[in-house]
Amino acid sequence: MSTTSSRARQGRILLEMAMRNLVASRVRTLVVGGIVALGVVVVVLGSSLLDSIDVGMTRSIQDSLGGHVQLYNAASRDPLALYGGTMGESVLEPIDDFARLKAAALTVPGVKQVVPMGIDQAMVSMGNVFDVALERLRADVRRRLEQGAPAEDPDYEAHKAHLRRMATLLQQELRQAREIADETSGVYKDRKADFDALEQAVQGGFWDQFDRDPLASLEFLENRVAPLSLDGGFTFIRYVGTDPEAFQKAFPGAQVVEGASIPPGQRGVLLGKLYAEEWLKLRAARRLDKIKEARELHGRKIARDEELQRWVKENTGQTRDILLQLDPVRTREAVRRLQAALGSRETDPAKLVSALLDTDDRNFDERHRIFYAELAPLLQLYTVKVGDFITIKAPSRSGYVNSVNVPVYGFVEFRGLERSALAGMMSVMDVHSWRDLYGYLTPERAAEIGKLKERAGATTVAREDAEAALFGDGGPAPAPSAAPRAVDEPALLAGSSGRQSREDLFGRRYTQAETDAGVALNAAVILDDPRRIDEIMPKLVAAAAGAGMKVKAVTWLEAAGIVGQSMGLLRMVLYLAVLIIFAVALVIINNAMVMATLQRVKEIGTMRAIGAQRRFVLVLVVVEVVTTGLVFGGLGSILGILIVHAVGWTGGIAATNDTMYFLFSGPALIPRLGTASLVTSVVIVFLVSILSALYPAVLAMRVTPLEAMQSDD
Amino acid sequence: MRILPLLLLALLLAPLPARALDQAATDRLIRNIDEMERSGGDYKALAYMEAKEKDKTDVVYELLAYRRSGDQKLMFLFLEPKSEAGKGYLRIEKNLWFYDPRVGRWERRTERERIGGTDTRRGDLDESRLSEEYAATWEADEKLGKFEVHRILLNARPEVDVAFPTVRLWVNKENGVVLKRQDLALSGRLMRTAYYPRWKKVRSESKKGDVWFAEEMRIYDEVEKANQTLILIKSVDTRPLEANLFTKAWLESKSR
Repeated sequence: MSTTSSRARQGRILLEMAMRNLVASRVRTLVVGGIVALGVVVVVLGSSLLDSIDVGMTRSIQDSLGGHVQLYNAASRDPLALYGGTMGESVLEPIDDFARLKAAALTVPGVKQVVPMGIDQAMVSMGNVFDVALERLRADVRRRLEQGAPAEDPDYEAHKAHLRRMATLLQQELRQAREIADETSGVYKDRKADFDALEQAVQGGFWDQFDRDPLASLEFLENRVAPLSLDGGFTFIRYVGTDPEAFQKAFPGAQVVEGASIPPGQRGVLLGKLYAEEWLKLRAARRLDKIKEARELHGRKIARDEELQRWVKENTGQTRDILLQLDPVRTREAVRRLQAALGSRETDPAKLVSALLDTDDRNFDERHRIFYAELAPLLQLYTVKVGDFITIKAPSRSGYVNSVNVPVYGFVEFRGLERSALAGMMSVMDVHSWRDLYGYLTPERAAEIGKLKERAGATTVAREDAEAALFGDGGPAPAPSAAPRAVDEPALLAGSSGRQSREDLFGRRYTQAETDAGVALNAAVILDDPRRIDEIMPKLVAAAAGAGMKVKAVTWLEAAGIVGQSMGLLRMVLYLAVLIIFAVALVIINNAMVMATLQRVKEIGTMRAIGAQRRFVLVLVVVEVVTTGLVFGGLGSILGILIVHAVGWTGGIAATNDTMYFLFSGPALIPRLGTASLVTSVVIVFLVSILSALYPAVLAMRVTPLEAMQSDD
Repeated sequence: MRILPLLLLALLLAPLPARALDQAATDRLIRNIDEMERSGGDYKALAYMEAKEKDKTDVVYELLAYRRSGDQKLMFLFLEPKSEAGKGYLRIEKNLWFYDPRVGRWERRTERERIGGTDTRRGDLDESRLSEEYAATWEADEKLGKFEVHRILLNARPEVDVAFPTVRLWVNKENGVVLKRQDLALSGRLMRTAYYPRWKKVRSESKKGDVWFAEEMRIYDEVEKANQTLILIKSVDTRPLEANLFTKAWLESKSR
C-alpha cells in the first residue's frame, strides 16, 4: 500500500516537474513543439494527397475498363494490355465461348459480374467533303427512284443547291492555282479536262438537266469533280466491343456525355469524347477550344506564344471547311449574323469568317462566344453526330477485310481519363458488331475456303525455287492455246446476294443469351470486395479449367499495360516524394529534440546531484517529450486536417497539364483524409520524437553530476 | 600462214556478247506486250485469287473481272466465299471505287489499293498499258530457266499515277510475253516479284485477233517475305458486255 502511494506521489511530482519545466522553458517548448507540429502538418498533407491520388487513379482504371480481375485465353502470345502496349495491340487468342466462361466465373463466391470484351483498332472512312455530300444526294436519288419522286422534295433540292455551291467554292479556290500554273506543263493539260468538268458543274444548265438522268449526273460529279477536292480520308478508332448494358453497370466511370446509352441488346457505338474532339471536330472549332484552354488553364497569351499565333493564323487562312458546310440559305444567314455580331458591313462570307477567327488576347473571349453562339448552330461541328451511321472496317481474324455500319448513340467519356491520349480515346461498341469485324474463322467458313482451293486446283510454289519450278525443264511450257469460253455469269452471280438487311440488323434486339454466346478476347470480372483480388484470382482460373477453358487471370493493374506501368511509375515517384518529405520532417524533429535534450545536461547533472535517480530523470525527459508531442502533434494534426479541407473547399489543386489530369483523375485534386494513413503518420512522428529525445537523454545520464555541473552546455 | 583462217574461224564461232536492243526495238517490244493483251472491246474473266500471309489464314476469292478497252473501264465483282459475295471494285477514269454491300457504301481508293486485302493491284488484272505509263530501257539479254529473255527496265512517266514507279520485266524472246516482273518503290527497294508461267490466248471478235492473258500469276511480297498471292484465270469471255455495266448502279444491283 505504502509502495503504491509512494509511486503515485512520485508520479505526481514527476508530472508537476515536467509541466513546470515545459512552462519555464516556454521558448524551447514552443520551438520544439512548433517543429513537431509542422512535421505533422507536412505528413498529414503529404499522406492525404498521396492517398487521394492513389485512390483516384485506381478508381479511374477500375471503373473505366479494368474492373478488378481480367481473364483471357492462356494460349495467347501477348499479355493482355487494355490500353495497348508499346508494340501496338496485344495479340490474344479468343475465348471461343464467353457464355461458358461467364457461367464458370459466376460460380466463384465473391464474383459479382463478368463482362465480355474485345479491344481492337479499326478504320473509320470519312471520304472527302464532296464524297460525303454526294453520298447524301445519291441516297436521295436512290429513294426517288425506288419510291417515286414527290412533287416537293426540299431535302433533295437543298442537297443539290449545296453541291452546286461547293463546286463554286472549289472553282474559286482552284482559279488561283490555275492563274499561276504553267499552261505548257503536262499536269496543266492533264487537269484542264477536270477544270472544264468543274466549270460545267457550276453552270445552271447542268443542274437544270440533273433530274433527267440523275445517276449519270452523279457519276459525273463523283468521278470528274470530287477528285479535285483533295481532303478527307480515314481515321483510326480504338474501341472495346462489349455487352453495353453490362459494361455500363460494371464501369460507372464510363459516362455518356452526349446522346444516350446503346439500348439493351442492340447494335451501336458510343464514340470516345476525346477521340471525337481530336479527330472528328471541325478543325477551326478545335483550334479555338485549344487556344481557350491554353489561355485559361495555362495562362498563355496569344501575343507571346508562337503556337497560339500559328493556330490563329491557320484559323484565319483555312475557312474552307466552314464555307463548304454552308448551303446558300445558311450562307446568307451566317453573313447576317456575323455582320451584326462583328459590326461589319462586309458581304463576303469568307472574309467575315476570317475576321471572326482573327483573334488576339483582347478580343478572344468575345470571338469565341460569337463563334459558338452565332456560327456554330449553322454548322456540323463534328463529322459524325448522334444518330449517324458510321462505317468501321478492319482486317479480320480470317484474313478478309470486314466492314460494319453502326449507329452512333452518343459520346462517352471515362472519368479521370478524359485527357489521357492512351485511355481517353476509347470508344464503346456492341459485341455483335465487334464479332462481325473480328471475323472469327468458324469451322464452316474454313471448310468453304478449303473447298474453293480444292476446286481451283491451286498449288503452292516456294519462293526459293519458284524460277526453277516455273521456268526450268520440269516447269509448264508457256504454250499458247486458244480456248475462248463463255463465263456463265447469271449462274455465278446467283449466289452473290450477300447483302444483309441493314434495317433488320439495327432493329434487332439480341437476348442476353445471344449476346453472351460467342467469341470474346477477354473478360472483366467485378468482385463484391476488391480487397479479395489475390484470393479470388486462382479460383477463377480453376473454375474456368473446370469448364474446359484454360485462362490466365491478371489484376486490373497488370492488365492496364502501358497505363498501368505509368501509373506504377507515378505512384513510385509520389511515394518517394512523400518519403523524402517524411524523412526531412523526421530529421528536423530529431535534431530539435537532440539539441533540446543536450542543452539540459547541466540541469540533469544538478538533479542527479541532489538525489534524483537516473530512471527518474529519464522518465521526466520522456514525459516532457510525450507531452510536447501529444499537444503539438495534436495541434499539427488539426491544422493539417483544416488545410486539407480548406484545399477541398476552394476547389482543390487545379491540374495544369495532361499528366496532372491523369494523376488527379480529373480537372482538380480534392485531397481527402485517409484515416489509416493519417493515424500511422502521426504515430510515426510521435515515436520518432520520443526516440530522438531518449537517445541524448540516455547519453546525458552517463555523465556524472560533477562533470555535468562543470560543463558549460 | 594456215593459222590465220583458223583464227578467223575461231573468232566467228566464239559466242558473241549480247547485243543491246536499241530504243526503238525496246519501245516496240513494250507496245507489243500491250497489244497482245489488249482486248479491243469487252472482256470478262473468271479468276481465282489466293493470298498467303504470315501467321494468318489463307484468303481465297473467286471473282469476275470485267474490262472495256474503249474507255479503260474496269470492274471486279467478288463471288465467293459467301461472306465476300457482292463486294466489288469499279474503275472509272482515274477513280477507283470500292463497294461493300454489307454497308451499302462506296469508297474512293487509290492505285496502291491491295485488292481484297491481297498483294494484288488493280493493274494485275487490268489491260496492259505499259507503253502509256512507263518509259522503257533495255538492260540485258539473259536466260530465265530454260527461256531466252530480254530484261527491260521501266520508269513511270511523269504525272502518271501507277502503283510502282519502277518495274523490271523479263520478256520471252520467242513469243514476247512477260515471264517475270519486279516492282520497285521510288527508293529502288524491291517490293514484289511476280511470275507468269502460263499464257493463253482467246479469239476476240471486236479486236479481230487474239487476246493473250496470263493464266497463272504468282506474286511474291519482297517486304513481308512470307506473303504470296496466286491468281488463276479460269475462263475468259470476249463477247460484248451490257452497255451500263461499268456503273455504280449496276454493281449495287448485283447484291440487292
